[in-house]
Amino acid sequence: MSDLKNKIDDLLMKVNKPARYTGGEINSVIKDVDKVKIRFAFAFPDVYEVGMSHLGLKILYSLMNERDDTYCERVFAPWVDMESLMRERDIPLFSLETKTPLNMFDVIGFTLQYELSYTNILNMLDLSKIPIRSKDRKGYPLIIAGGPCAVNPAPLSDVVDLFVIGDGEEIINEILDLVISCKKDNVPKEELLRRASKIQGVYVPSLYVETYNDDNTIKSIKPIEDGIPAVIKRRIVKDLDKTYHPDKQIVPFINIVHDRIVLEVFRGCTRGCRFCQAGMIYRPVRERSKETLIELADKLIKSTGYEEISLTSLSTCDYSQIESLVYDLIEKYKEIGTGVALPSTRIDAFSVNLLNEIQKVRKTGLTLAPEAGTQRLRDVINKGVTEEDLVNSTKEAFKAGWKSVKLYFMLGLPTETMEDVKGISDLAHLVADVYKDVNGTTRGLKITVSTSTFVPKPFTPFQWYPQDDMESIINKQNYLKELLRGKIFSYNWHEPNMSFLEAVISKGDRKVGQAIIKAWESGCKFDGWDEQFKFDKWMAAFESIGVDPKFYAYKKRDFDEVFPWDIVDVGVKKDYLKRECKKAIEGRLTGDCRLYCTGCGIKDLDEGVVCFET
Amino acid sequence: MKLRAKFKKDGDLRYISHLDLMRTIERAMRRAQIKFSLSKGFNPHPLISFGPALSMGATTHGDYFDVVIEGEIEPERFKRDLNKTLPNGLEIVDCYIVDDKDLLSNKVKEAEYTVDVYLMSHVIDLPDEIKRFLGRDEIFIEKESKSGSKIIDLKNYILDLKMIEAKGSKVTLYVKLKISEGSPGPIYVVKALDDFLGHVFDMEKILVDRRNLILN
Repeated sequence: MSDLKNKIDDLLMKVNKPARYTGGEINSVIKDVDKVKIRFAFAFPDVYEVGMSHLGLKILYSLMNERDDTYCERVFAPWVDMESLMRERDIPLFSLETKTPLNMFDVIGFTLQYELSYTNILNMLDLSKIPIRSKDRKGYPLIIAGGPCAVNPAPLSDVVDLFVIGDGEEIINEILDLVISCKKDNVPKEELLRRASKIQGVYVPSLYVETYNDDNTIKSIKPIEDGIPAVIKRRIVKDLDKTYHPDKQIVPFINIVHDRIVLEVFRGCTRGCRFCQAGMIYRPVRERSKETLIELADKLIKSTGYEEISLTSLSTCDYSQIESLVYDLIEKYKEIGTGVALPSTRIDAFSVNLLNEIQKVRKTGLTLAPEAGTQRLRDVINKGVTEEDLVNSTKEAFKAGWKSVKLYFMLGLPTETMEDVKGISDLAHLVADVYKDVNGTTRGLKITVSTSTFVPKPFTPFQWYPQDDMESIINKQNYLKELLRGKIFSYNWHEPNMSFLEAVISKGDRKVGQAIIKAWESGCKFDGWDEQFKFDKWMAAFESIGVDPKFYAYKKRDFDEVFPWDIVDVGVKKDYLKRECKKAIEGRLTGDCRLYCTGCGIKDLDEGVVCFET
Repeated sequence: MKLRAKFKKDGDLRYISHLDLMRTIERAMRRAQIKFSLSKGFNPHPLISFGPALSMGATTHGDYFDVVIEGEIEPERFKRDLNKTLPNGLEIVDCYIVDDKDLLSNKVKEAEYTVDVYLMSHVIDLPDEIKRFLGRDEIFIEKESKSGSKIIDLKNYILDLKMIEAKGSKVTLYVKLKISEGSPGPIYVVKALDDFLGHVFDMEKILVDRRNLILN
């Protein structure tokens, strides 16, 4: 270890942000490696600052390290400057805590947060001198993966030994127990995987075969032997209030993307926006009680010393006791300068009084997400907000002294026309008028409009819909650039070719997986980073394996088509998604399921699954 | 009340920037439940001020910061409590009360450094060469700053420079510099010396330790 540590030390003055690679942060865990039965590397396929902002890492790291028999360490993708020095000097990828080469671990667990980080997984394995295909990995660490993108495990089927579908904290202990017992008895990997496949929520891709129809659609995904489950049921935490939440979080030395305490107030979302994968695959809503949250907040503030605590969920203002929770926290911690942040604000539930209180301790930005420019299109996507909501909430905010606002939209939503695109600019101008009404001038005002490109995702009502083609997206972006001229506006947009690739991979099958390997072999990595993204190499990779990426992104799908992700049961029924898809086209809204049950079927997933009760 | 704390920062913490260091100490004070005063304004922050920033990669054994405390705290207790919550590599070595009007920035006059450098080729008599280097009337260098680069005379800043040890190819230098607005760090001295000697140091492998800031 010390030898490797010295070799690493020699590199650190030559790279950007060397503290990405040193570890030693407050609340990071140091254990005696000889006293544990299993060593687990939590691997995040992006840089330190992105990975350290991720709640799942915080939860699983603490949870696993509470076990005396387990040591969980962290590893992130080294940035390209560090990687090239490591390759030059033959330094393997290493864990932050003990500087141990990754191939000496028992299990390496990747989290799949974003499709464009998949090549980093291959690169990290390669930097660890671990073969990238599971079939070539006899005697190597077990490679597992989980997270939201695992709901379509097909593209990484040749790489990952075992996928975890659903809430990791619900299942990880069973996997650790199995690996420990197999290690003790010298059980070979194939047998370990067979046993693992019987744990609910585990998908072992090598035990299944994907077959195709002549038109390249999926014919079937079937187990290759008896006794293997035909469908993988997602695992869910049933009572979040009684479920583990870390009361310590690592405090990095360098600025990370979300540099604050993350307190998860609830999981799931009741809104039912039709484009939103998270809103479907994290159902049902499970809340923590206010008492639990206040107790956790207190421990976290004491153990980290952070200046900000962020109340996280998919739609935090929907928390049943949001106002009293926020007031209590602000009152309690304003003296030490620790403020409260609400990262996900909807304009309808948005309470200006609440934000005013928050602002007293620490200034926060005002970010609103109407998602679409016209009411017609907002009805299509079931984003139940109106122009009036936007006017009312921005008026109150401007009265309270806010001078800048960020507005988020999507381009290329199903049925979108140029009229809807113009609506985005109209809304931005409307907000400027509201400001002028309040302040008599537009001086000092800053409106930032951001558009991302709609990506149809598995397990959403729009999964049958094609993505808008790149040329059309570019036209729409250019149109908005024209419309949003002037000092008060600034317009940001997403690279359309990145969104295209995201669509291809998120709806991809095992063949797309071959293209991912090819793309990595030709030098692709950090594909989510503009300056690293090599679209031409990706297209060449698809061509060389004879797969048309447009088939995945642009094809309108039939309702009876089999999808690569049909092997997974997330709980929300396909019939419900079809119904929602049809209602979308008719522009009919579906209510919030806190008001009445909309029949998504999640309650049938497992015994004891309870929806939000009114 | 205002406290002045002397601290050391070494090990892996040499890779964190001045800004990172400030945040780390602020958070450690919160963990230690030390009641520091907050600034007014949109984003309140503790009233802490540091001496001259240390460059990335350098360690220190004698830097200072001042902090304004709400109410009273024994300096010994501040030191003890804070040391319990600081990460490995950071340690308060001394702490005392100063007058509210006493500004650290007015107090720091000189700094002593040791610099480890590695020789790539043999130098016949380094101490003698250093004397020749210092014997020049002026030593102009180009110093980079945020507003561009500027030519300055190093001679105005070097109070002392000598070799204190040589072990194999590793040489330890002692450098004492005047500290004032825009004064250069020891790296500039080593670089100028390296230029003078005809490039004998491995400039990619230099370890700077600020031994001490001298307050008047």
